[in-house]
Amino acid sequence: MLGLDQFIAELNKSISMFLPETALVIAFLVALLLDLMFKKSKNLTGYTALIGFLVTGYFLFKQMNMQSTAFSNMFVIDQFGIFMKWVILLSSIGVVLISFFTNELYEKAKGVGEYFTLIIGMAFGMFLLVGSSNLIIIYLAIETMSLSSYVLAGYTKEVKRASEASLKYVIFGAVSSGIMIYGISILFGLTGSLNLFEINRFLAANPVNNFALFLSVIMILSGFGYKISAVPFHFWTPDVYEGAPVPITAYLSVASKAAGFAILLRFFKVTFLDSVPGNDSVWTLLGSIDWHFVIAILAVLSMTLGNLVALWQTNVKRILAYSSIAHAGYMLMAVSTMDDAGVASVLIYFFMYMVMNLGAFYVVALIANNIGSEEIDDYNGLGYRAPILGICMTLFLISLTGLPPTAGFIGKLYVFSAVVKAGYIWLAVVGVINSVISLFYYVKIFRNMYLNDVDSNKSKLTYSPASIVLLFVFAIPTLYLGIFFNDIVKWASYSANIFMGK
Amino acid sequence: MLSDFGVILLFFIIGFIFVGVGLVAAAFIRPSHPNPIKNSTYECGEIPIGGPWIRFNIRFYVIALVFLLFDVEVVFLLPWALVFKQLGWFAFIEMIVFVVILVMGLAYVWGKGDIDWEKPKPYIPSIDDLVVGKKK
Amino acid sequence: MDLVGLAFYFLAALIVISAAIVVFSKNIMYSAFSLMFTFFGVAGLYVLLNADFLAVTQIMVYIGGILVLIIFGVMLTTRITGVDVKSNSLGKIQVGIAGLLSTIIAISLIVVFSSTKWFLSEPKVSGDSTKLIGNELLTNYLLAFEAASVLLLIAIIGAAFIARRK
Repeated sequence: MLGLDQFIAELNKSISMFLPETALVIAFLVALLLDLMFKKSKNLTGYTALIGFLVTGYFLFKQMNMQSTAFSNMFVIDQFGIFMKWVILLSSIGVVLISFFTNELYEKAKGVGEYFTLIIGMAFGMFLLVGSSNLIIIYLAIETMSLSSYVLAGYTKEVKRASEASLKYVIFGAVSSGIMIYGISILFGLTGSLNLFEINRFLAANPVNNFALFLSVIMILSGFGYKISAVPFHFWTPDVYEGAPVPITAYLSVASKAAGFAILLRFFKVTFLDSVPGNDSVWTLLGSIDWHFVIAILAVLSMTLGNLVALWQTNVKRILAYSSIAHAGYMLMAVSTMDDAGVASVLIYFFMYMVMNLGAFYVVALIANNIGSEEIDDYNGLGYRAPILGICMTLFLISLTGLPPTAGFIGKLYVFSAVVKAGYIWLAVVGVINSVISLFYYVKIFRNMYLNDVDSNKSKLTYSPASIVLLFVFAIPTLYLGIFFNDIVKWASYSANIFMGK
Repeated sequence: MLSDFGVILLFFIIGFIFVGVGLVAAAFIRPSHPNPIKNSTYECGEIPIGGPWIRFNIRFYVIALVFLLFDVEVVFLLPWALVFKQLGWFAFIEMIVFVVILVMGLAYVWGKGDIDWEKPKPYIPSIDDLVVGKKK
Repeated sequence: MDLVGLAFYFLAALIVISAAIVVFSKNIMYSAFSLMFTFFGVAGLYVLLNADFLAVTQIMVYIGGILVLIIFGVMLTTRITGVDVKSNSLGKIQVGIAGLLSTIIAISLIVVFSSTKWFLSEPKVSGDSTKLIGNELLTNYLLAFEAASVLLLIAIIGAAFIARRK
């Protein structure tokens, strides 16, 4: 053990690097207290959450170029993590703002105090997960975000399907985290360490039983796969997405997924990178197991199943749920390349995906405010009843399909080029075919909005000017990033380097 | 260390033998004349109605949930108490942070009224109830 | 076989038998009580592994906390006796697939556990493992320790929120 004084000095350094997360914890506690003290006020915790996120953003900004480990190698600060944290933070802010305009939350639940409090808690869990380099912290962080999201998914307790969603989420979540911790224990038994850097060093020096290693990593993958809703760990996704309040669905599909992908990438690179060849941008992996292939299989399954099943859905939230499974597949495709270009393309994709997916869910929330339904048949003629929503929804759907000139196109472009560059032509072909399939169900929403029930004389939808402003906050970047994407690409390529420890 | 637990094991074994021997001996010695009255649950009390498995009130569950979480907290306190003296003030601060965060949980359930014991309000009949035809 | 070996097999038998009762008993109350012996047996195994702190934790948290919670949960249900564990809603195909998967997983786990060369650390000073845990918890594992408190707080909020009647 270190000397105590030395440890305290290191602790001070660690805390100074942990400020964004600390800010989140403090915001969480303050929101909790304010909720207890001012029971009457409606959105107080929501504003606290916003302020907390802004302060977190300030500390995160100050960390921009930092690269270090903290808390005895338990926590890593690097550009990769910071990029992902920005995605999580921005989507958290977006979700809080969307929540303000979601009537369902205010009508079907008794107060929104815990709601915003738990969103902060969940954000903390995700921040922790993105930066963790120790299996214990990974497990704790996943549990922190899971527990908050279980409650958030069932927040509108009066809605039956929300309770169902919450229960299903808990059961699947408990099983997958149980399997994951089993896998962690096997990996610990093989290598004698929980620290990813030390596991890497051990694997580089000692051969281990391949089958045991494979089994343990697959089991750990079930925990990550659950968070990113990759097939075959996706069973909860459609039901939870359908039942949960719309902002939470958006949150689960963007931020929670970002955290899952961040730890998936970090886990694979830090654990299996062979640091001997020297050139880190194309990873050489330790051991003889073909991890590229394992991830590629997951990617193909997720894309295909997500897109094919989405074709039969009649609920817009369910369509978006399956589409989010498919998007996880596209990103897994980039993960399977296991090189820095792949990592960069995942980062680019996530930034684009965040904007367009939050936007799409926000439109769903605004429409549900008016017509109280998310069924696709109730969307008939909405393009005329609510012109602005219709246009924006069309934009988001085009972007989700991946057509130019939208953000989604740029994301897909970089993912596919990374896959092709790494030599997985067959995988790219499967991805392109899937993108074409996805066009069908996105067009279905569009068709219902514009081509069905054209001359309906139903009343126009009403929405406040403020809610339209927020809509443009999502719509304009979706268009803008489709044309001026250089800065994001540059930032992502700069951030693609995952820190390998000292 | 193992020998310490060996003592506990010994206690267990002695306990089992003690009870077992007593029961077996009693089975040999006692007279056995069963009849329906004697076999009823309360031989000289009320005749029980309904099954013994009744539904519990949900408030027990909430209390048990809160208890469990603080139980886990106690588990963390135990090793801290052993090394607290050796590590000094910073261990103290760490524990303060830990406990304060958890005390917020207590404040939460308290403030939200989850640990209020809702007593069933017994209905006390007043004289008006006895007056026939009068509306309450 | 020495005394420790004997104790191990006794505990293992206790765990397996009581776990089987948990699964196959038709009265879920008996299942819940039988779980107590499973937890107790696991605590015994921890003792045999020289992990006395874990053993005490096991008894405190699992038997003193979680089991009580489970029993309360059982008592909240309307039907306690005669709950058929064999659910009729499952078809033969589902049961077949699940059985096959479980068998595959079980076999692979057995293969892994019997064929792997595990990492062996040198036995540390046996004895005061609680003190060692305390030291690690407050220094190297500090982040995990404090993160656990946030996790517990979220669990309290979530549990109280979900269980609240109104």
